[in-house]
Amino acid sequence: MKEARKIEALFEVLRIVASLAIAYVIALLVLFFVSDEPLFVIQQFVLGPFSSPRRIGSIINLAVPFVLCGLGMCFIYSVGKLNMMGDGIFMLSGCIVTFVGLRIGGLGLPAPLVWLILMLVGGLVGVMCIYLPAWLDVKLGVSVIVVSILANTILSELSQYILQFQMRDPSASYLASFPLDPSVSLPKFLPSSLKLQSGILVAAALYLLSVVLLHKTTLGYKMRMVGANAKMARAAGMSVASTIIIAQLIGGFLAGVGGAMEIMSNYTRFLWTDTTGHGFDGLMVAVLAKKDPKYVPITALLLAYIRIGSDVVNSSSSIPNEFVSVIQCIIILLVAAEMFLTKQRNKLICKAAEANLKQEQQKQPA
Amino acid sequence: MENEVLRMQNITKIYSNGFVANKDVTFGVEKGEIHALVGENGAGKTTLMKILFGMERNEEGSILINGEEIHITSPLDSIAKGVGMVHQHFMLVPSLTVAENVVLGVEPMSGGLFDFDEAVKETQRIADKYNFDVDAKLPVRDLSVGQMQKVEILKALIKGAKILIMDEPTAVLTPQETRELFEQLQILKEDGHSIIFISHKLEEVMEICDRVTVLRHGRCLGTYDIKDMTETKISRLMVGRDVVLKMDKPQHDRGEVVLELDKVVKINSIGKRVLNGLSLQVRKGEIVGIAGVEGNGQSELASAICGLDAHSAGLIKINDVDIAGKPIKDIRELGLAVISEDRMVDGVAADRSIRENIISDRFDKPEFKKGIFMNNKYINQVVDECIQEFEIACDDRDQPVRMLSGGNIQKVVVAREFTSGRNVVLACQPTRGIDVGTAEMIRKYIIKMTREKNAAVLLISADLNEVLECSDRLLVMRAGKIVGAFNSAKDVTEDTLGEYMLGIRTMSDEELEAAL
Repeated sequence: MKEARKIEALFEVLRIVASLAIAYVIALLVLFFVSDEPLFVIQQFVLGPFSSPRRIGSIINLAVPFVLCGLGMCFIYSVGKLNMMGDGIFMLSGCIVTFVGLRIGGLGLPAPLVWLILMLVGGLVGVMCIYLPAWLDVKLGVSVIVVSILANTILSELSQYILQFQMRDPSASYLASFPLDPSVSLPKFLPSSLKLQSGILVAAALYLLSVVLLHKTTLGYKMRMVGANAKMARAAGMSVASTIIIAQLIGGFLAGVGGAMEIMSNYTRFLWTDTTGHGFDGLMVAVLAKKDPKYVPITALLLAYIRIGSDVVNSSSSIPNEFVSVIQCIIILLVAAEMFLTKQRNKLICKAAEANLKQEQQKQPA
Repeated sequence: MENEVLRMQNITKIYSNGFVANKDVTFGVEKGEIHALVGENGAGKTTLMKILFGMERNEEGSILINGEEIHITSPLDSIAKGVGMVHQHFMLVPSLTVAENVVLGVEPMSGGLFDFDEAVKETQRIADKYNFDVDAKLPVRDLSVGQMQKVEILKALIKGAKILIMDEPTAVLTPQETRELFEQLQILKEDGHSIIFISHKLEEVMEICDRVTVLRHGRCLGTYDIKDMTETKISRLMVGRDVVLKMDKPQHDRGEVVLELDKVVKINSIGKRVLNGLSLQVRKGEIVGIAGVEGNGQSELASAICGLDAHSAGLIKINDVDIAGKPIKDIRELGLAVISEDRMVDGVAADRSIRENIISDRFDKPEFKKGIFMNNKYINQVVDECIQEFEIACDDRDQPVRMLSGGNIQKVVVAREFTSGRNVVLACQPTRGIDVGTAEMIRKYIIKMTREKNAAVLLISADLNEVLECSDRLLVMRAGKIVGAFNSAKDVTEDTLGEYMLGIRTMSDEELEAAL
């Protein structure tokens, strides 16, 4: 049944496209009804992100942390776990990287070395944090979902503690760390009107590595088999527990690097007082990408486009930014709803099967 | 056909993966008859009955009960129309009593509370009427399989079932229990009930049924009076060719012991001794069969040998190495190949491709790798060879396993295990739920493994015929122990086996010693 396979693949894509379309239409409708000047607002939302090179550049820059967190979630999903610690890791990693950056920033080390150290520090924070829920799950059977969500609060509070008591700049009029040495910041990538950041290069490299790791290496194969059927993987002699943990460590690493790069690209001080939501954005990016790292850049750019659109609307009208989270909810709901469109899919498969039957019957007499 | 109580007309059912389970099936059942529904595994018997019982919806066709067209959307509709189903896997609550299970859904009430005494009375009344020997006050978990089946039948009868669907009712019974069941079915029949008897044990069909309807590949080949049929005729209709029921097994010399169990004990999580000092040996080049009523420790025995669930005491040696405390990978490396009991749970990852499933036990061998990468060229070559040698019917090696038929899924498992180059094969229910053709092929491979590759096979199967046909030596397992051993499987009859399985006869330690 080649047809059945094709139809299934088609509907996988169709389901995602349809949910995006529905969410988008609902967003437009909302804008239409809440706004005094609906057509202008809608035009701003849809076309605004492309209205200047600067904004196009912003889409790409905004997509960088989405890509990293999305890739991380793909690894976590690959072993069939739902570890949502990315959010807390992103914040704590930003905090620790600032903390370390404040100390090594002015030492006169070569800048690339500083960048490398800080990214590794961020990644390491992610690895160390995510190990806790992963280990508790494998060894003691504690739900990884519950632990990771609870742990997000701990990581967030820990970051605030470090900010308040270890690196707060008393001369700043708001809660923020001491300013980072300029050498810590990642330089702009190619001086052009797009104002692209060099974080893109790091994200691109990690993207390629992720795709290769998950699809071409034996470790990636192990992760995918464990995710598909852990019992079978165990019976075949694979080390299920360590595979599950390693996949999550990779996920934590990527989220951690994301947090580090966010600080190094966009901030001169650490001033987050709450999580930034990047972890959950990563979750959505991964789900939209069918949990396959290959498609993560596309879905990350899509999310970034919607976000920038909402920023544009926000700055040019009275519509608040939050309406975008409504769209996001609808998208997640529809994409996660596995039964969405299955009826139509099954009908098509049935039809194909019947057509096949007829063909066979026609062949038989001959 | 004024006596016809049920008619299923032109039923077509297509599953969501595109599999056509039933195509234009028409069949009718008369009042007071036992009607056999036969066909290979995957021929569509169970699907047809699930449609009748409201567990699946048909795409086309109609169902008539007592001449009146009905629309069935759930089992409740079917029950209301007097259809009852005794499932292959019992649907009982083990901790509740027989009476409580029987009245589930139609509980007698008194003053807004459940009336247990009335439930017991009612259950006993029906049990007595049809000569069912069960104690209504016993918890179901203390019953034997045969008794549980009676509870299932009572459950259907108390809801007023006039048409009883029995899905392979004898698959789990010993010959003695089967005979008892048949007597009860006769009583039901004389009382005016109609029974749809699903089976592929043709001698039973010949013995008890009035008419037979044959399905093949989801199509109905017709309904015949049993008196006009013979077993050979039916089996030819079922399979479309003559079936070899006797396996060709060349004489072969046994070698040294490669799988040895000595007084193995397994205490499960609720403290029950599921393996109770079990000892056995399997030598190179022989097939040792284990017969027994299911649930007497066979699954636990298999889990202990492959290391999925470690044994509590005793010794298990594979190729002379103690497996205690070893991870599964190491145990397999000692030379153990496993066809697991439930292929969808332990055998394959259904969503993954044939390719990925076949290499799951060998992907980290040097020839399958290039550094940290997978050696795709070599892998594809190995997988294609497997597909060819084991005749796996598929589009290509990248097709997800879940899209294959049960028989072909099992072939994927067998291909992996039998090409692993290991010399101790643990085959658990190797042909359960698959078509006759594939089953025959798999049995041949098992025999070939011992005869040509000098492997040792431990065959655990609930299919007595299979155990009798394939084994060189035969063991009977009961209550976690070997209770009978026969040096030559040829000299044992099903009835003798049944007596050991039920515990009517047990061999003493000396006798066992002598037979081993």
